[in-house]
Amino acid sequence: MNFRQFAYRNVIRKKRTYAAHFLSSAFSVMAFFIYAVLLYHPDLQGQLKSSSQTASYLAKMGLTVSQYFIFIFSFLFLLYSTGAFLKSRKKEFGILLVLGMTERQRMKLTFAENMLIGVASIGCGIGVGLLFTKLMLLVSARLLMLEEGLRFYLPLQAVWMTAGAFALLFLVVSILTIRVGRQTSVLELIKGDEKPKPEPKASVWLSLLAVVLIAAGYGMVFFFVNYSAFFLWLLGLAVGCVVLGTYFLFTQLNVYVLRTLKRRKSLLFRGINLMSFTDMAYRVKDNAVMFFMVATVMAAAFSGIGACLSVGDPGRTERNYPYAFTYWYASEHGERADAAITRIDESLRGKGYSFGKSKLDLIYAGNSKYNLVSLTQFNELAAIRGLGPRELASDEILIASGVVSRNSSKHNDEAVMQAAAEALKVHGQGELRLKERVSDAVIAQTDDVVVLPDEKLELLRQEGAAAASAMYYAVPEWQETLELARELQAGLSADFAEVGQFSALAIEHYEERQLNGILLIISVLVGAVFFTFAASFIYFRLYADVERDEKQLGMTSKLGLSPKELARLVTRQLTVMFFLPFLLGMAHSAVAFINMANLTNTSMLNNGLIIYGAFFGIQLLYFLLIRWRYLSRMRRKLA
Amino acid sequence: MDILEVKGLNKIYPGNVPYRALNDIDLTVAKGEFVGIMGPSGSGKTTLLNVVSTIDRPTSGQVLLNGADPFRLLSEGLARFRRRELGFVFQSFNLLDTMTVMENIVLPLTLDRTKVADMLGRAERIAEKLGIAGILNKRTYEISGGQAQRTAIARALIHQPQLLLADEPTGNLDSKSARDVMGLMSALNKDESATMLLVTHDAMAASYCDRVIFIKDGRTYTEIHCGDNRKAFYQKILNVLSLLGGDGHEFPAIRV
Repeated sequence: MNFRQFAYRNVIRKKRTYAAHFLSSAFSVMAFFIYAVLLYHPDLQGQLKSSSQTASYLAKMGLTVSQYFIFIFSFLFLLYSTGAFLKSRKKEFGILLVLGMTERQRMKLTFAENMLIGVASIGCGIGVGLLFTKLMLLVSARLLMLEEGLRFYLPLQAVWMTAGAFALLFLVVSILTIRVGRQTSVLELIKGDEKPKPEPKASVWLSLLAVVLIAAGYGMVFFFVNYSAFFLWLLGLAVGCVVLGTYFLFTQLNVYVLRTLKRRKSLLFRGINLMSFTDMAYRVKDNAVMFFMVATVMAAAFSGIGACLSVGDPGRTERNYPYAFTYWYASEHGERADAAITRIDESLRGKGYSFGKSKLDLIYAGNSKYNLVSLTQFNELAAIRGLGPRELASDEILIASGVVSRNSSKHNDEAVMQAAAEALKVHGQGELRLKERVSDAVIAQTDDVVVLPDEKLELLRQEGAAAASAMYYAVPEWQETLELARELQAGLSADFAEVGQFSALAIEHYEERQLNGILLIISVLVGAVFFTFAASFIYFRLYADVERDEKQLGMTSKLGLSPKELARLVTRQLTVMFFLPFLLGMAHSAVAFINMANLTNTSMLNNGLIIYGAFFGIQLLYFLLIRWRYLSRMRRKLA
Repeated sequence: MDILEVKGLNKIYPGNVPYRALNDIDLTVAKGEFVGIMGPSGSGKTTLLNVVSTIDRPTSGQVLLNGADPFRLLSEGLARFRRRELGFVFQSFNLLDTMTVMENIVLPLTLDRTKVADMLGRAERIAEKLGIAGILNKRTYEISGGQAQRTAIARALIHQPQLLLADEPTGNLDSKSARDVMGLMSALNKDESATMLLVTHDAMAASYCDRVIFIKDGRTYTEIHCGDNRKAFYQKILNVLSLLGGDGHEFPAIRV
């Protein structure tokens, strides 16, 4: 048996301990590879570019950024798992050193093992990734609404890039972790896990600091959003505070709480409490680090997915801009614009679509961002949307909500009224009364619009107030008009270049779907990767100690711990391990969600619930699976 | 009155070549008795103890503790039976290293949800008796082997079990600590009239018993009683051991 064989057999014969490390490495390789395949796909670039500049840019950016993310987190993750893994083998190293292995040889051994796992997981990750490539391409093509689909191709470039990047990563991790376990005496290595790790120092002050740091971090985010203090450093500081606070929360507060619990004898000396509390206290340091990592990773995953989902909201365009076609033009282009509009009508009729159309003349209300329209035109427009007409007395006005107002509960009626009064002041008009705010989706404008009685608007028009006009088309079968819309867009921008602007719901909807598709791919993949990391952290923690647990539970069951109590004990420990960091991750991301909602004026409640629900479900499944495996292993050993 | 009654006990380990570890063992232990079981390696000592302690099930035969058959109980009841009626002392101490000495001692009581004040009182009394009152707040890695075994004995006796089972309790101790521990066990046997069953292959440890039963190849071979001279008893044990085979020539035939 030469040295390489020794390293090889170490890995092969201790499959279970290496399994989690290997699988999660392979999984991150695979995720990275899939991103690379999409990123380098020749068709994807072309098709996305041809349909929309934004989508293409976003896809490229999104895929690249997530790839960096995965890479950085893979690095941290591998560093942790390799370190944890080597630490759990202290005793083995101690024996080897006593038998005469030199420090150099030990380093060589760990290096060889790490590289072996690295090469294997790169191979497996890319291999499995390749198997899934076709499926991924099909799904992506569907999500991205690419008409021509995505061909299967042999992604040589992606293969080389993934292999190269991860080979480098494993090399760096192997070199960095080579020193784990050095500088400790052989005696300590042999004693290995007999001696508990020193309890981290816990003080009331540091515990308070944890709470203060988290509160400060949250506060900064709220300040960032609510006082519009958009400094990037503030956000960075907030994240830093929360991360640090989380670390202290788990290292300090954890110890502090456990100590308090242990001091209460009546609680401690009851049933399985003694076993579970002392056990948690014994592993408090290892657990604290693990809790911290999982909580951070989960918070990042939740917030990332939440951000993606909040940007992408299928059906938003349709809700906000319900008209199939819109043709915008300045009023002075009247005749030329009429020609353009006639062409739109003809092409719609030519394809046999039924449609309704209505013109809206908008007059700028002074220097404000609000526009004025006449009641008649407003009613006509409402009619093609299938809404009933409104009436106004001569001193009354309506406010028709724009997109922003429709999506939020905050309305600023006063500002709109003031702008309207300002515009009409020249004519010596008396007081205006607001009759009502119309929140139906009639006006397809960002800002609110003031609806005036016809005669008032006429006055302003004679005044020569600058005006723009828009022709709105409502087509029931607008979803089929993508082809037509593209033809019209090309034709109109060629023949009536300086007259006006044509936009179509079908085109925008299509782009929106593509955008959502990209965001969905990114968030699902990133979520999956992060979840795997979090799950693996827990798995490592558990399996590093499984033999010790077996011994301890074995002893206790000889003393009379019943199988039911054993199950309860294990369930309690696992519950804390699985759901405590989850809860904290949830708290952190909830703060992020609330602020995202305030920032974008949309509700994150649904998205948040979906994310939490999905992750909780998966986590629960994982918990039940591990609990089942763990208990059956314990029962088998104890029987 | 008999605390333990073993009748026609057989234990066969199944496999390609089934192995008969215990062969028709009969054994009774009366209340307050201190019984030793000796025999060469592989004779079935530990198997016998495991069956008596309900950790292992017999293939046939009966084990009666206080007239009741614990194997009729389901696993929950069995666990409860173990923590109320039995006490264990192991060769490797089997203390939980997550706990202090004190917490280790009261563990069986906490599982049974005894009142805390009662629990602490009992723990202090027994710790006093075993000479470990000064180390109650130490962790298990901070104490010596003798102290660890005395802690284990305290844990085994704190709930006043019907029967204390000890599996090579002196196996991991030096001779001084071994004598101390055996002296303590013998004292507890006399003072508290605790019934004890001890498995050992250390003749010195066995000489503290009232009666020693020898088994060989899964059968009871012979048994000898202490009488009132411990030295003579020790010599008798050595004689039987040399008869049992192994390195008989090491022992002088007569040395009084």
